[in-house]
Amino acid sequence: MLSIKNLTASINGTPVLKGIDLDIKAGEIHAIMGPNGSGKSTLGKVLAGHPAYEVTGGEVLFEGRDLFSLAADERARAGLFMGFQHPIEVPGVSNSSFLRLAYNKKAEAEGRDELDPLEFDDFIHEKIKLVAMREEFLDRSLNEGFSGGEKKRNEILQMAVLEPKLAILDELDSGLDIDALRVLGDAVNRLQRADRALLIITHFPRILETIQPHHVHVLSGGRILKSAGKELALELEERGYDWVLEASAAGGAR
Amino acid sequence: MTSMVVGSNLLVDLLSGPRPAEWASLREAAEGRLEGRDLPTTKDEAWKYTDLKALAAIPFVAAPRATVDISAYLLPEMVGTRQVFVNGHHAPHASCASAVPAGVRFLPLSTASEACHALGTVKNGVTPELFEDLNSARFEDGAVILVPKNLKVALPLHLLFLTKADTPIAVFPRVLVVLEPGAELELVEEHHGEGTYLSCPVVEVRLGEGAILRHERVQRESPEAFHLGTLKAEVGRHGQYHSRTLSFGARFSRQHPWVRLAEGAEGTLDGLALLDDQQVADTHSFMHHAEPNAVSHQLHKCIVDGKARAIFNGQVRVAPGAQGTDAKQQSRNLLLSETARVDTKPQLEIYADDVKCSHGAAVGQLDPEELFYLESRGLNADDARNLLTYGFAADVLQRVPVASVRRALRQLVMARTQAASLGVLA
Ligand SMILES: Nc1ncnc2c1ncn2[C@@H]1O[C@H](COP(=O)(O)OP(=O)(O)OP(=O)(O)O)[C@@H](O)[C@H]1O
Ligand SMILES: [Mg+2]
Repeated sequence: MLSIKNLTASINGTPVLKGIDLDIKAGEIHAIMGPNGSGKSTLGKVLAGHPAYEVTGGEVLFEGRDLFSLAADERARAGLFMGFQHPIEVPGVSNSSFLRLAYNKKAEAEGRDELDPLEFDDFIHEKIKLVAMREEFLDRSLNEGFSGGEKKRNEILQMAVLEPKLAILDELDSGLDIDALRVLGDAVNRLQRADRALLIITHFPRILETIQPHHVHVLSGGRILKSAGKELALELEERGYDWVLEASAAGGAR
Repeated sequence: MTSMVVGSNLLVDLLSGPRPAEWASLREAAEGRLEGRDLPTTKDEAWKYTDLKALAAIPFVAAPRATVDISAYLLPEMVGTRQVFVNGHHAPHASCASAVPAGVRFLPLSTASEACHALGTVKNGVTPELFEDLNSARFEDGAVILVPKNLKVALPLHLLFLTKADTPIAVFPRVLVVLEPGAELELVEEHHGEGTYLSCPVVEVRLGEGAILRHERVQRESPEAFHLGTLKAEVGRHGQYHSRTLSFGARFSRQHPWVRLAEGAEGTLDGLALLDDQQVADTHSFMHHAEPNAVSHQLHKCIVDGKARAIFNGQVRVAPGAQGTDAKQQSRNLLLSETARVDTKPQLEIYADDVKCSHGAAVGQLDPEELFYLESRGLNADDARNLLTYGFAADVLQRVPVASVRRALRQLVMARTQAASLGVLA
């Protein structure tokens, strides 16, 4: 589904990603962990097409296509989704109108029928149940005045509406209370299918108990220093990152 | 009448016509002040960004009566509570006050002169602006609204000023609103027109103790029009005056809202202007905290495209002794082109020490992070820009309480921001 080869990228002339290799196949769940500032969000934004980041080298194929030949909106319509670590507030644009617009843009791109407001109403009511969101949030402006956790819930609602092939979820768990974490973890699991894939960026193993990854990667200093199975998450929780960094410096962590 | 000595042809022409008979002392006082005065120039500090040369070059004359089909302007909530004025003259057949509750007077000034001894008595202590005096000297008609003590009027009232100019004309809409203590009212004031004309409305508001007025002001003058409006509101103790001025039309518009807050009163002066081409929209507001513990809010937003220009000067005065004042002012401006221009300035004069005054001004383009967020959900760059521009304006519109007005303005804003094709009637 996604194949990243020796990806390097910088922001404002500062290199942040320094050679990332990663392969994600359909049906797989990957997790990326790593210290603050190591480049996790940068990787997500580069993949999603944020214009401020400059790709300086490497190659990324998404479903066999050169990802970087697509603009951000084209990537979204092709089935890539990023749940933001810090979702943006957009006053004046109602949440439900925005969701319908995004849905219809994607439907149009896929040659499916667009939904009129009434049809969308039925559709969205199923989706808000999935993420246990109260109806009033549909009428409010997009993310405006939402609490941190409410914004994250809204990100997963958008994911449920768009049903992406590949979802990159950047710190979904930060700011969520324990119940919300379980609800949204379950929702993400229910959206996962054999022809879809997930990339979970997190600092905490707890979310990985619900959304169980097949692979866990440690990203530090713009490189993936270690990759292993889901047990790595707990080991990191116990031992921190130093041992990975040291082993990597000694040339043995991989 | 009159041998006015004024330098500008505009004033000579406008004042050479007959003077309406009523309110002689108001008119004489205004004419007296106008004598020897001329149009302000860009050398006057308050007018330095707004050049009136184009206005002075047009030979405006007093407006003849005209008839206009008003069906397009009717609003369902207010079919029985409307007064319509065409070219400054009352249009009895277009008006309908059948649903106005008993006790409320909602009449043309021309039929209610005995009720209007208060006309011209809302005074802000400074010499009236020239355009206010022009109105006082020459207004033909207007509306008076009187709401008795403790009456809460359920239906909004609709004031519709239409101008139809085949040749350049000048109109002087006049409004007096008096709410006795404890009264409540919602008022929608609209200005629409066609052709080249000068409109100088003056609205006087007097609110008794605890009275509440919500005042929506819609300026959709013709693209060739000049609109120079004055609003003066005196708010009694614990009264509330909330106004929102929504400016879309006119080649040149200038608003002079002035609000005086007594003890514990609350005042809102919100504004939204959508400007394109060569339009100029200038707001010089004055929020006067005359007594303690009053609260004021001002949110002024402009979307400026083409070679248009927006000016905002927000004066806030906290009088000596007006302790416990809480005054907020925000000016937020969105520039959509390289040639658009905004000049915004707060002007705080604080003569008390226990006060909270906050102000902020922002002039900028759309936020790239917001654009990326929308694009990451599959909206193309143009759609994302249009949606954010719409949202910037809709943020103000969504607070308009009368549904049909809100809907009409949203549609207008959607069309103007190219967001209509997105089909997101929020
Ligand atoms: N606009 C920017 N200008 C300069 N440096 C930036 C910019 N954006 C990110 N960086 C830098 O890039 C590096 C990687 O940031 P990134 O947000 O990807 O980290 P992260 O791994 O997601 O961290 P966290 O765990 O705290 O979310 C950091 O050192 C950060 O300071
Ligand atoms: Mg991050």
